[in-house]
Amino acid sequence: MNDGELDPLIHVPTRLKIVATLAALPDGDTLSFTRLQDMIGLTPGNLIIHLRKLEEADYISSDKTRNGTVSITTVALTGHGRKALDAYTQALRDLLGGL
Amino acid sequence: MTPSPDTTTPAGNGGHFDPRQAAALLDQTTQQARRKLAPSPPWLLAARAVAVLAALGAIWLTVRGQHPYKGPTGADIPILIAFIILNFAATVGVREHAMTGVRGKTRFRPAEIAILAVSWAVVPVLMWALATAGASFAWYPTTVLIVPGLAWAAVNGAREGWRGSAMGLVIAATGVAGAFAGPAGSWAVAGLGLCIVLLGKAAAVARRQRRETA
Repeated sequence: MNDGELDPLIHVPTRLKIVATLAALPDGDTLSFTRLQDMIGLTPGNLIIHLRKLEEADYISSDKTRNGTVSITTVALTGHGRKALDAYTQALRDLLGGL
Repeated sequence: MTPSPDTTTPAGNGGHFDPRQAAALLDQTTQQARRKLAPSPPWLLAARAVAVLAALGAIWLTVRGQHPYKGPTGADIPILIAFIILNFAATVGVREHAMTGVRGKTRFRPAEIAILAVSWAVVPVLMWALATAGASFAWYPTTVLIVPGLAWAAVNGAREGWRGSAMGLVIAATGVAGAFAGPAGSWAVAGLGLCIVLLGKAAAVARRQRRETA
């Protein structure tokens, strides 16, 4: 089985979970960092590392807002990221369908 | 976030990730996320459908033999109040839990919440006005549904939520249909109408979730 054609940025268990979770949101919605962390079950440091990687590729966008003394970070899948996940899903189907 | 070097290898990139495992993980994660983020999950809609049919059906059973019609008995009122409180608490509680940390279009804006609240507040005024004008159906339970149904349709139509808009129109139509069913029959029309609307929405949400994860 050749998995070389799978997007290496998504083809990592943790990042796949992040992208799939954000894809479950309707277009235009964002998810707070803490809720995403709760849903994925990662430490904050580990999650930040993966989010940075995805943001560098423009697969996700993040926004930090201040509410008094509390800062809230929200993340969302970009259109580019949604297309990349669609292409990854199709590549997986093609690979597994060929077995 | 600032650019950073790829430090993900120790965080989960080590070892071969089999495409079959990836497909299973993608499917599992997508289903879990959709379930956790659903503001109106199918199970809650189905439970509300059964509850509304049971509550309003129970009242219909007690009033259908009344000649002349006297309305729900003292024993029926606690059932109705308990149903309304439980329905409201479950709906708001599940929605708030699902929407924790979510921002954007899915959340109702304050203006939309105000419109929906006002639509319920004007119901007694409308019923009183209809009664004053001599409308026989003024105090039918289905009359309660007309204005909130139209408001729900308008709010959802404004945000291009056509399914929600259609649901609001069907609820309002149930309210109008009840006007022709007589005082006792309107309880059955309200119970059946709302039950069908909720079951229809539950089926639509479940079908959409299945299609999107297929």
